[in-house]
Amino acid sequence: MSAVIEIKDYTWRYLYSPNPALENINLTVHQGEFIGIIGPNGSGKTTLAYSLNGLIPGQYHGIKQGGIKVLGKDVESYPTGALQKSVGVVFSDPEAQFTTMTVEDELVFGMENLGMSIPEIRERLEWVVELTDLSPLMLKPPYEISGGQKQRVALAAVLAMRPPIMVLDEPTSMLDPISRRRIFEVLAKLKREQRNTIIVIEHSLENLVPLADRMVLLHNSHLLLEGETRQFFEQMDLLLEKGLFPPGIMQFFHYLKQQGRYDGYLPVTVAEAAEKLTSLLEPAQEGKQ
Amino acid sequence: MHKTLLGYVPDQSPIYAIHPFVKVYFLLIVSLFPLFITAPEWNFFIMLFTLALMWYSRVDVKILRIYAPMAISMGFIILLSYTVLGGVHPEYRLLTKPLGIPIYWERIRDATVVYFRILPMIATMVFFLSTSRERDVIVAMRSVKIPFVITYVFAMALRSAGMVLEDFGIVRQAEQARGFDPAGKSLAYKIRKYIMYMVPLFALSLRRTEEFTNALIARGYAFTGKASKVKRADYVLTHYTFRALDGVLVGIITITFIAILVLRYGFGYFGLDDSWFIIWAQSAL
Repeated sequence: MSAVIEIKDYTWRYLYSPNPALENINLTVHQGEFIGIIGPNGSGKTTLAYSLNGLIPGQYHGIKQGGIKVLGKDVESYPTGALQKSVGVVFSDPEAQFTTMTVEDELVFGMENLGMSIPEIRERLEWVVELTDLSPLMLKPPYEISGGQKQRVALAAVLAMRPPIMVLDEPTSMLDPISRRRIFEVLAKLKREQRNTIIVIEHSLENLVPLADRMVLLHNSHLLLEGETRQFFEQMDLLLEKGLFPPGIMQFFHYLKQQGRYDGYLPVTVAEAAEKLTSLLEPAQEGKQ
Repeated sequence: MHKTLLGYVPDQSPIYAIHPFVKVYFLLIVSLFPLFITAPEWNFFIMLFTLALMWYSRVDVKILRIYAPMAISMGFIILLSYTVLGGVHPEYRLLTKPLGIPIYWERIRDATVVYFRILPMIATMVFFLSTSRERDVIVAMRSVKIPFVITYVFAMALRSAGMVLEDFGIVRQAEQARGFDPAGKSLAYKIRKYIMYMVPLFALSLRRTEEFTNALIARGYAFTGKASKVKRADYVLTHYTFRALDGVLVGIITITFIAILVLRYGFGYFGLDDSWFIIWAQSAL
């Protein structure tokens, strides 16, 4: 797999801020990977998202060291409006990213900016509306729909531009569990069918972990831990120490491991956990019989 | 029901057959009619005609009730401005002089003319707002090839107005939740305390602006640079077709406007001299 994002010794400090928002970050993301980025508030997650999309340094003043390459080119070498064809960003507050008066206008706005033709726009619109289940909302103003619907519209608006790389900055932070699950269902569908490179910054790990190929932990502006999802959560003590709470099933099996009652890998889904638990309980049950 | 700028219109309304450009054209041109018509009865007729259009478009005409107090108080203010505050005019016909204030027939007549000019303009605006949404205005502008950047700035202005109102509601609720209750307090107190709303609202507006800019850039939009030179397809316009009926309606509005101008300035119609309402009022007073 080829690298689509290469972050090398990257440091960013906002102007008038005493400390860097990101310091000495090194990370390579490969094509088709699903990366989960976690970390407490203020750890630099949003700054990283903005840096990948060119909003930093384009829209913010600050001091930069190192560099970020997207699809082999330095972020700053892209002409205005060109990088956004490659990297789509979904922000945490969906309402703040609506720029038009109807859901339909919102979905086509990005495609119009890319210079697509009407038949192309129509075709992609049909695809994205079906994918995100938005057809009943097309004529509604985006700021009058529910929080979950708003976030699906925001996601669909970026998806419609079909960027090869998508960055989602806490896309479910304002959502209830059902809406949260629906967003992750869309992401799972994308991962399955489109093979986009997806980077999700998220606090809620229950939905993220089963999808993520790799996880990254940012803490105090530093990249503290990075690795394949299962291996990443093997560092459970470190994660707990840093105030991050992995999914309950993982913590449960980690506890069993500490007690010496389990020595396999940590399950990432409920189904996997149920299977592991059954196999753990089976010998005991046989012993009783 | 479809939401409009001022309320809701049923799905079956015939207004949906009309191209947005015709609605905007109606607003802009028919609003001008009263400026060229002095006779109050003709302006009253325009108002009734507009209200009939509202009824035909299945707009809930009950919404007009909320404008009744405004129309009455506006009429009262106009009358007071022209009569009590109208000054001394020895050349005018004096009707009465209560408390030493001269009331002239000509000033009452002028107040009536102005009032009946404003009423159809308001009715036309209410009709437009009751049957249109923000998108209609944008579509109308784009269908006459107004540059995208102008229509978009207009759309953003509409959007930001809604956002500011929304933020204002949030700030007000937050203040109330912490026990701030200006009910029953003096106006001076309310104005003084208004700063409590304005400061967070201003800060929120700045933040919104930053987020809005980021959103625009994230969608590949730029006012300068190559992205702005990309030839844009206008997908929204594909939903609207300018039909023969729309052409006929634009023609009727245009011809009516020209006819009013010709009749007014060519033949002297719609003036005060042959206004039966003014003649009747003059004889009655």
